[in-house]
Amino acid sequence: MPTTFLNLSLILLVVLLTWLAYKYFELHEIVAPYQKRYKHLLSGIASMVDRIEGYNVRHSAEVAKICERLGIAAGLNLMQLQTLKTAAMLHDVGEILLPADVLNPEKPLDPEELFLIRAHPLLGELHLKKDNDICDEVPAIIRWHHERWDGLGYPDNLKGEEIPKSARILALADAISAMSNNRPYRKHQYSGREEILFELESHAGLQFDPELVRLWGKLIRKDLAEEIAEKLKQDDEEVEA
Amino acid sequence: MIRMQSSWLLESVEELLQVDSVAIPFFHRFSALNWLSHLEIPLFANFPVDSQAMLARAWFDVDKGPFLDKNLHKFNQLLTQPLNKETNPFEPWLDKFFTRQQIDYIYYWRESAYEIEDYSQREIFWSAVYQVMSYWLTNKKYRTEVFFEPDKIMAYYLHYHNEFIRGKQNKVEITSKHLSELEAKECSLVLFPLIFDDDTEEDLLQIIYYAWFHGHADIKLAKKEISLALNRYMIPFNAKSDYSKFLELAEKASSAAFCWTGKELAPRIHEQVIAEPIRNVFKTGFSKSKLYMKSVDKTTDTYDYLLVFKK
Ligand SMILES: [Fe+2]
Ligand SMILES: [Fe+2]
Repeated sequence: MPTTFLNLSLILLVVLLTWLAYKYFELHEIVAPYQKRYKHLLSGIASMVDRIEGYNVRHSAEVAKICERLGIAAGLNLMQLQTLKTAAMLHDVGEILLPADVLNPEKPLDPEELFLIRAHPLLGELHLKKDNDICDEVPAIIRWHHERWDGLGYPDNLKGEEIPKSARILALADAISAMSNNRPYRKHQYSGREEILFELESHAGLQFDPELVRLWGKLIRKDLAEEIAEKLKQDDEEVEA
Repeated sequence: MIRMQSSWLLESVEELLQVDSVAIPFFHRFSALNWLSHLEIPLFANFPVDSQAMLARAWFDVDKGPFLDKNLHKFNQLLTQPLNKETNPFEPWLDKFFTRQQIDYIYYWRESAYEIEDYSQREIFWSAVYQVMSYWLTNKKYRTEVFFEPDKIMAYYLHYHNEFIRGKQNKVEITSKHLSELEAKECSLVLFPLIFDDDTEEDLLQIIYYAWFHGHADIKLAKKEISLALNRYMIPFNAKSDYSKFLELAEKASSAAFCWTGKELAPRIHEQVIAEPIRNVFKTGFSKSKLYMKSVDKTTDTYDYLLVFKK
């Protein structure tokens, strides 16, 4: 009798697990296309903003990628990473609402125009949170993507660790991407990753979170070392051939 | 930690009324005034701690203009010889907070500024020391390489000051009064950024800077004096706080707002522990109130709060 009962329980358990697995995959099947669609729409909006800013590359997507690398290295959890990547894709969305002439990167700005430009993180936040769940952090991260570690950024002049970590990551990633691409307003164009890293390291504790700059340095040096190793391997193979 | 968000504040208050003047009876962080100072409305801010009031004057009293080039060349010099250790009052900070070279510079900058005739120019020079100290303390804490010589970093912040005030027209009225001397101001909004005693990096910097500003290295004394100046403003999170003085200071205002930041506690707790007691006191003078919340990081339960009252 007890053996029959045990067998029955086991069968029931297997049936239950199979049913749960089926439900999981069914749900996944329903949700996945929506996630994909949401991702595509997000990158569509992002590329519009990139164009407005005069980038001829996918700047926002690049920022999101850098954010992901930095976020993982900085120990963010999955939920935080997801939030950060969404904020990265939309970080300059507030610029859509600015008059076109203040966004002309070749035009020198007067103080009033500068103030207007500096409102873009606020405009972004304001419009994103309008019809949004009160507890979503994406708008807040966007609000603070131009704050500086030394407290002299904008709009709120937050300082050091008062700036949420995700916003600090976004600020750094935004700068890295901007430095990696030619910008007409900048006299100096950076020659490569080493020079950008030097610039970031010299501004750690001024503009950027020193800990994040250190993490980025580690990642870049590792990339460079791996690339050199790969190159040497290829050279060896060529010599052997 | 004060995460004061001026635009959020105005946007929320404006649901209730048009803001045309703002008074902040006590403030502890000069830079958080920045956004409000861009708006063309009368702005009044009182800093009970004198060193913070000086910083606010240097960065927000726009009539003072930028730091002049002639003063930069004359007073921001590269030290070629180490200074006399015997007369340097900041020696006790050696290795604890600053390096040998940095100790020499903070002494030199304090003393040489006395030779700048124009008092407001002197304050700008001293205010840049605050930023430089902040940078050096960060370097020490995070063990990062220092890329700039002291005179270069000083010039960097004086230049930054120049950029910061460029185009600003709104003069902020800054005072440094004790609570007992403060009176209610007639204005459309009175704002109270709540201060909690929570030992942040910024607190340490303010203590060091306060001691330096007063010409000594006594950290304990500086801490004590700052706490005294902020005495009635500091909010003991778990103990009962007396908000009646806040109500007195809001007497002549059409609206009042409290802002603060909370970590590691659910919003419900903040509502009970902070918002409710304030509401109980303020209901005698203000008929409407609303609590706003903003999620900063859900994983650490970090939220920013804004409690708004209207008469
Ligand atoms: Fe931006
Ligand atoms: Fe950007």
